[in-house]
Amino acid sequence: MRNSLIETMTDGLQKGLDTAKHLGASAAKIGFYHQEKTDCQFEAGRLKDTGGRESISYSVEVLVGNKKGNTSGNRLEDFSAMIERAVTLAKVGGSVAHFDAYPAPSEAATVKTHSNKTLSLSREKMIEACQQIADELKTYNPDLFIECSASRTESESLLLTTGGVSHPARRTHWRLGAFVQRTADTDMVFAGHSRGWRDLTAFYDPGVIAEKIITDLRRAETIVPPPSGKVKAHIPPETLPRLLWPIFMGTNGRNVAKGDSPLAGRLKERVLSSSLTIADDPHQDYATGARALDDNGVPTMKQTLFDKGILKCFLYDLDSAGLAGATPTGNNRSNPHSPKITPGERPSGELLAEIDDGLYIRDLIGFGQSNIINGDFSGNLGLGYRVRNGEIVGRVKNTMIAGNLYEILKHNVLVSSDTEYQGRYPHMTVEGMSVISDR
Amino acid sequence: MKDRIKEALKKTTADYAEIRVETEETTHLAYRGPEMESAGAASFCGGIVRACKRGGWGIIVFDSLDNLEEQVEKASLCAALVGEEKTELAEVRIVDTQLPAQLENDPRGVSLEEKIRLIKSYNKIILEADQLIESSGVTYGDSFRTVHFANTRGTYYMEERPRIYCAFYATAREGSLVQRANDSFASAVTYDVVVGLEEKVHDVAKRAVSLLKAPKVEGGPRTVILNRRMGGVFVHEAFGHLSEADFLYENPQMRDLMFLGREMGVESLNVVDDGSIDRTIGSLSFDDEGTPTNKTYLIRKGVLAGHLHSLETAAKMDAKPTGNARALDRKHPPVVRMTNTYVENADMSVEDLFAGVDDGIYACDAFGGQTEFEMFTFSAGYGYRIENGKIGDLVRDVVLTGNVFHTLKMIDGVANDLEISEGAGGCGKSGQAPLPVGFGSPHIRIRDVVIGGEL
Repeated sequence: MRNSLIETMTDGLQKGLDTAKHLGASAAKIGFYHQEKTDCQFEAGRLKDTGGRESISYSVEVLVGNKKGNTSGNRLEDFSAMIERAVTLAKVGGSVAHFDAYPAPSEAATVKTHSNKTLSLSREKMIEACQQIADELKTYNPDLFIECSASRTESESLLLTTGGVSHPARRTHWRLGAFVQRTADTDMVFAGHSRGWRDLTAFYDPGVIAEKIITDLRRAETIVPPPSGKVKAHIPPETLPRLLWPIFMGTNGRNVAKGDSPLAGRLKERVLSSSLTIADDPHQDYATGARALDDNGVPTMKQTLFDKGILKCFLYDLDSAGLAGATPTGNNRSNPHSPKITPGERPSGELLAEIDDGLYIRDLIGFGQSNIINGDFSGNLGLGYRVRNGEIVGRVKNTMIAGNLYEILKHNVLVSSDTEYQGRYPHMTVEGMSVISDR
Repeated sequence: MKDRIKEALKKTTADYAEIRVETEETTHLAYRGPEMESAGAASFCGGIVRACKRGGWGIIVFDSLDNLEEQVEKASLCAALVGEEKTELAEVRIVDTQLPAQLENDPRGVSLEEKIRLIKSYNKIILEADQLIESSGVTYGDSFRTVHFANTRGTYYMEERPRIYCAFYATAREGSLVQRANDSFASAVTYDVVVGLEEKVHDVAKRAVSLLKAPKVEGGPRTVILNRRMGGVFVHEAFGHLSEADFLYENPQMRDLMFLGREMGVESLNVVDDGSIDRTIGSLSFDDEGTPTNKTYLIRKGVLAGHLHSLETAAKMDAKPTGNARALDRKHPPVVRMTNTYVENADMSVEDLFAGVDDGIYACDAFGGQTEFEMFTFSAGYGYRIENGKIGDLVRDVVLTGNVFHTLKMIDGVANDLEISEGAGGCGKSGQAPLPVGFGSPHIRIRDVVIGGEL
């Protein structure tokens, strides 16, 4: 950091824990976060703005009896007052705590999250990368409306608990992406691609971002009628995280304990296709979700959520574990840090080639607005193609897809051997996707 | 604060610069199931400087107010790095004013104990409504945001922007089938908006249970009547975003498409954005560039009549600023956003609207909506079949989609019962969500809307 604050802040934050105890808290934790960011934005294919941001914040959680109080802020002069306020919140009937102490320090994995190479990414280099993307897209089609952006972030954090955890962490991250709009009368095509990582590696590649977008635009050049009925669908890695979101709501231990998850009571049951093995891996060096401890000081761990379709575990933060009578798994808010699907045997091209008549789902509009925790979904194809005889033949419009994700992922799912750049998401082919259109 | 930020701006070398400094105090309380899930409070301050030089922008976001001059200088240097053209920003009248909140029942005067007691009682109503209720959620929140704004043209304002809301949902389960219903209420004026909601809370619980028995709606093109809340979401999502001039001003194809005078729908269709309505959650006296808010006709008598503008889009499209440059908070620059967007009343009765439908769907309330300009998707909270002009059985999973240019022309009836809703949710754009907005409509009838559903 240009000005690291951790060293100067540690004593004051540590005293905050003592203050909380003095005010009647039986346990407390304090988090401190400091971030510096540099970024640039392109609009209409040219540099529009650049700037930076520096922010600090702290969070306080206290336990008084079996009640919790939480506060947060960024005015250091208010720090003591915010501790007092957290204690007051807990005393007047704050949220029910299902644990009585923060865990003692224990062995945690070493996970790389900070890279000096990322810090070498200057404002000028980011502007150059965005310019390269914009130029390549303009070469393909000068009439595109092009937006590009890049950012570089460095942050430091400190977690202190009355359990004895004192965990400083430093992180870097970059992000590079672009989004285009092609308009012809009332017909509009939107395509975008972005990448992010904590280390500056070959992943930082403006050429790939432009190429991915151009591939989508080429595929979208022809409009074709959609298929009808229940069809096969090919889902590329870029679309999968969004589509699988309801599954991770299902494995969320808090949702399970609160009775909201349809997976409650189904451990060891085969709920997905045997071709699906899904894990949470927070220990992949430099991944966006990489971390050694969760926000309560619990060490993170690699966990298999579904082993060949069989539900193996739920994820729990400290409080949810207490609620469920389970062991904390080191997952903030009981969500996965960095989900990963085990690749299959065959390349995505082969899977696509086996679709006689179906869809290639590149982007969904409105997915997640339905009764999503139940797995039911219904969404408009923002960008999708028709597949005929194993080949993409053109873009479909005014088309909705619907179904129940648990039903669709239970039967005849094929997973590709190739994945996106982070190695976390392969391509997938599923069956039984309902297609509704205005034909 | 006024003197400090005005003084800091004197250091700029940019063609234009502005500082917005904000403080925000929030309280958040939530029940989930039988227990209190969270109790929190937050207090933040900070600001943002935007500087424009030769048409390029420098943007600096900061938390510390210690050295505002340095932040202005940094933003000015960034702007100089970007700008290669001419700074074009529309002129608006210079103001110097302070606008304290006019609260009728200030939530800061209500004890934490009372707020907790209130949501606990609502939560109990849901949990005891029916044996099939599996879970519940009730959230109370209030925020008090104070905005200080000054620019190099001499404008200064301070505006307090309070917000109070209550949101609740019920989850019902029968076997593996889970259904959820929800509702929310918000106000910029009074804590009273969250009091006395017992009947509304009970309705939500009962609806979640009823949805368990309701069949899924059949997919396909149908005639749809939107209730007032759903109509409001429709006009916001399907049309409102298209009117935001930052999507248009540097995109020649979009400007060709959204030219003023274009025929959009039937003559009885009038769509308005109005940030100057008295004290709703979508209202503000000045936008986050210091422009007074206004009533802007977007569609008048079925014809495209206006766009929503910032200073820059107005200058570049030779239009007047409309007061629609809004920022979510101190960390974000203003972008063109809606305020209170609604369809004006026409002269058809609701009864006549229904009488014209032999076989259709009555889509009520909204889980949410999303648009990619020409395409939109939005989900009703629930719906009913319409059979021979009468409201029939409850149906679930009502998701509507379509092409906005086609769908607006398919509106063939606008009723006379406008209501503007204020809910706990908000609008999302450019990573800034949820921005408080109001939306509303009378009942409207649309032919040939694609309804999604499993086959």
